Amino acid sequence: MAVAAIRTSKLSKDYGLGRGLFELDLEVSPREVFGYLGPNGAGKTTTIRCLMGLIRPTGGAAYIFGLDCRRDSVAVKRKVGYLPGDMPQFGSLRGKEVVAYLGGMRGGVDPTAVRDIAERFDLDLSRRFREYSTGNKRKLGILLAFMHRPDLLILDEPTSGLDPLNQQQFYSLLREARDAGAAAFLSSHILSEVEHICDRVGILRAGRLVNVAQLEELHHIRAHRVELEFAPGTPVPEDAIRSAAGVDNVSVEGQRVSCTVRGSFGPLFEAIRNAKVTDLVSTEPSLEEIFLSYYSEAAPGQKALPQ
Amino acid sequence: MTAVALGLRLGRWGIAGFSVLAFVSSLVQALGFYQLAGHTPEQRAAFAQSMARLASQLTLILPPPTRLDTVGGYVEWRSFGGLALVFAVWALVSASGAARGDEERGLVESVLAAGFPRFAWIASRVAGFAVASLIAALAGGLGLVAGAATAGESVGLLPILEVAAALAALGLSCYSVTLLIAQLASARIATAAAGAVLLVLFFANTLSRTFTWLSSWRQLSPFHYYELNQPLAPGGEFHERATLTLVGIAIVAAAAAAVLFESRDLGSPALTLPVRPRPVSYEPSRSPMWRIAFVRGLYERRVGLAMWAAGLAAVGAVFVSLTKTIIQPLLSIPALTHFFGGFVGGQLYTSFLGYFWLSFAQLLFAGFAIAQVARWSAEDGDGRLELMLSTPQSRSAVVVERALVLTLGALVIAAVSEVAVLVASHYQAMDVSTQKVTEASLLLVPFALVFAAAGSVLAAWNPRAAVGLLGALAFASYLLAEVGPIFKWPDWVQDLSAFKLFGMPLSSGLDRSGLAIMLAIIVVGFGASILVMERRDVGA
Repeated sequence: MAVAAIRTSKLSKDYGLGRGLFELDLEVSPREVFGYLGPNGAGKTTTIRCLMGLIRPTGGAAYIFGLDCRRDSVAVKRKVGYLPGDMPQFGSLRGKEVVAYLGGMRGGVDPTAVRDIAERFDLDLSRRFREYSTGNKRKLGILLAFMHRPDLLILDEPTSGLDPLNQQQFYSLLREARDAGAAAFLSSHILSEVEHICDRVGILRAGRLVNVAQLEELHHIRAHRVELEFAPGTPVPEDAIRSAAGVDNVSVEGQRVSCTVRGSFGPLFEAIRNAKVTDLVSTEPSLEEIFLSYYSEAAPGQKALPQ
Repeated sequence: MTAVALGLRLGRWGIAGFSVLAFVSSLVQALGFYQLAGHTPEQRAAFAQSMARLASQLTLILPPPTRLDTVGGYVEWRSFGGLALVFAVWALVSASGAARGDEERGLVESVLAAGFPRFAWIASRVAGFAVASLIAALAGGLGLVAGAATAGESVGLLPILEVAAALAALGLSCYSVTLLIAQLASARIATAAAGAVLLVLFFANTLSRTFTWLSSWRQLSPFHYYELNQPLAPGGEFHERATLTLVGIAIVAAAAAAVLFESRDLGSPALTLPVRPRPVSYEPSRSPMWRIAFVRGLYERRVGLAMWAAGLAAVGAVFVSLTKTIIQPLLSIPALTHFFGGFVGGQLYTSFLGYFWLSFAQLLFAGFAIAQVARWSAEDGDGRLELMLSTPQSRSAVVVERALVLTLGALVIAAVSEVAVLVASHYQAMDVSTQKVTEASLLLVPFALVFAAAGSVLAAWNPRAAVGLLGALAFASYLLAEVGPIFKWPDWVQDLSAFKLFGMPLSSGLDRSGLAIMLAIIVVGFGASILVMERRDVGA
C-alpha cells in the first residue's frame, strides 16, 4: 500500500479563546488533488503551516510521505512545493534573482521548467519584484512552488489575485502535475474553484473538520442566489417556486422573486416554465454565506452532508 | 488632526524610545559631572580645563563646549551635542518611512482614497514629528533637571525649554530635508540618499572647525544653526534667529516636498530617468553566486555592502587627515613631542589614529550589525523567512548562514576601510604601524558580531522588537563604557560593554581577554538563537 502523501493524526494548534485547529484527522493519497475549504479564520493556513513545519502543533502529529513534518522537516521540504497565502516582499530583487535565490537554496531546479512556467503565465522575470502587480507576484509564487517538480504541492489560496485566464492556466498546470504523479493540497474559500480541480474536499469550520466529501457530494452544498423578475401584469408562480426541490429562502416583492438554489437548477426552471421571465441573475454566495445557511447554528461536526 | 494623531500613534515606540534615550543620556551625564568635577570652584575649573582638552579631540562629533565647570555647560556638550546626531538619525528613519515606507505598505493610498489632500498629508506628518521630537527633547531636559536635583542644584525652566526647542527644530529640519529627498529618489534608495545628504551636512559643519575652507559651506548645515544655541551654560544664549532658521528650513523643505508629492505618481519618484526598453525574459539568473550557501547572501547585499565599504573608507581617510591636522601643531612644541613620544611608545600617529578613527569605526560597525539584524527581522515579518524555510534548509542552517554572511560582510568592510586608512596615512606621510592597524581592523569584525549575536537571539525571540531592543542594548553598552570608569564600577561590570571589550588596540595592543569574551558571547549568542529559532512558530 502506497504511503499517504499527507496524514494527520489529532493534529491541533490551540491559540486559545477557541481559535486554532483541533484534532484534525486527514489523509491525502498520492496523485490526489485535495481541496481544503473553509471560511476566513477557519484554520486552513494554520493546517498548512503545521504541515510545512513552520509552527509547532500543540497536539497530534502530521506526516508527509511518512515523514514527521516537525522532526524530518528538511527531508519533507525536499518533496514539497509551497505557495504561501501572502507573497513575501523581495523588494528590489528581480524576478529571475528571486527564482535563482530560492532555487539555489533548494537545489535541483531545472531552468527549463522555470522558463516553461514563466512563459505560460507570461511572467517577465527581468523586472524587479517591487514593480510586479499583485497578480504577477502570485504568478511568481506559483512558479516557485512548481519549479522543482515536487511530489506534493501545498498551496494556500493559489488563485487569489489571478485573472480568469491565468486561473485557467494554473488549473491546467496543476492537472499536469497530477498526471505526472504529484499530489496537491490546496486551500480555498471559493467553492467553484475547488469543483474545477479537486478530487476530494475537506470542509473546515472553526478549526474543526466538518466533513470530507467526494466532488459530487459538493453539489449538494453548493448554492446560488437567484433573482427573478417577471413581466408586469403576469402571474408570479410563487407556489411552484416554493415547492421546487433545492429552492429555499424564497421572498417575493411584487414581480421580483429572490431565492437560494442548492444543487441543480432543473426544478426551478421547471417551476417557471410557463411564466414570462424578463430578468434572471444568479450569483454564487461566499463560502461564509453558504456555511451560515447550510450549517447555520449546528455545532461543528453534527450536521452531515445530505446523501 | 486625525492624521497627526495617526502619525503619533504609528511612531509611538519611536517617541517612547528616543524620550527614554534622551532622558537617560542627560541624567547620566549630569550624574557623571558631579562624580568627576568635584565641589569647589577650583576643582571644577581644573575639571573644565581637562575636559576642554578632550573636547578639542572630539570636534568631529561634538560641538565646542562652553562653561564645562557647570552642570548645564557639561550636559549641553556631552548629552545635547550627541543627541543632535541621534535626532537626525531618528528624523531620517521616520521621514523616509513616512514618505516611501507608508506608500509601499499601501497606507498612503488608503489615506488619499479617503479624500485626504496630499498637501495635508505631508503637513500632518511634519506636525506629528514636530510634536514627537519636542516630547523627546523635553525628556532630555528633564534628565538634566533630575540629575541636578540629586546634587541639590536646580536648572531653570526657560533654558530647558530653549534647548528642547532648538533640538526639536533640528530634528524637524532633518525630517523635512529627508521628506524632500524621498520625493525625488526612488523608494529603493530614498533612505540612503537622504542619509548621505544629512551626513554631508553634518560633516560640513563639524569639519569646518578643522578645515577653514569649509566654513562658508557650513551655512547650509542645520547642525551649524543648532550649535549656535547654548542656553544651558551660564552666560550662554538661546539663539532665536538660528532656531527660527531651523524652523524655516523645515517649512521650506516640507513645502517643497508637498509640491513634489502633488506632482508625482504614487510609488514613483518625482525625478525619473528614462528607462531603456528591455526585452521580456523568462530565464532565471544564471549567476553561480546564487547557488553557493552564504555567498548568495553577500551577493544579494552587494550594493549595500559596497556602500558601507565605500562610506567607511571615505570616513577613514577623512579621519587620517584630521589626525594629522590636529597632531601636527602639537608636534611643533618640542616639550610636547618628547611627552607624546614617551607616552605612546613612539607610535604617535598610530595611537592617535586609534583614538579618533577606531572610536568612530566601532559606532559604525555596531550600526552595520544593527542594520543586518533589522534585515533579519524584516525577513521574518514580510514572509521571506517562511519561504526560505519551505526549501530544504534547517532553521539552524538559516542562522549559521546569516552569521557567516555578516562575518564576511564585516570583514570586507574592515579590509576596505583599513586599506583606505593605510593609503591615506601614506599620502599624509604619517608613520603608522600596518600590523597594528590590520589587527585593530580585524578586531572590528568580532566587535560587530557581538551585537549581531545579541540581535540574532532577539530576532529569533521577538522579531518585531529586535531592532529597538538591540538599539537600546548598543546604547547601554556605549554608556557603560563611558560612565563605568567615571563611577569606578568593577571590571566585570564594565566588561559587559562591547566597547570596553574592544579596548584600545592601536595604543595598548590587543586585549586578548576582551577578544576571548567577545568570541564567547558570539558563540553563545548564535547558539542560543538557534535553540530559540528551532522552538518558535514562524509566520504565525
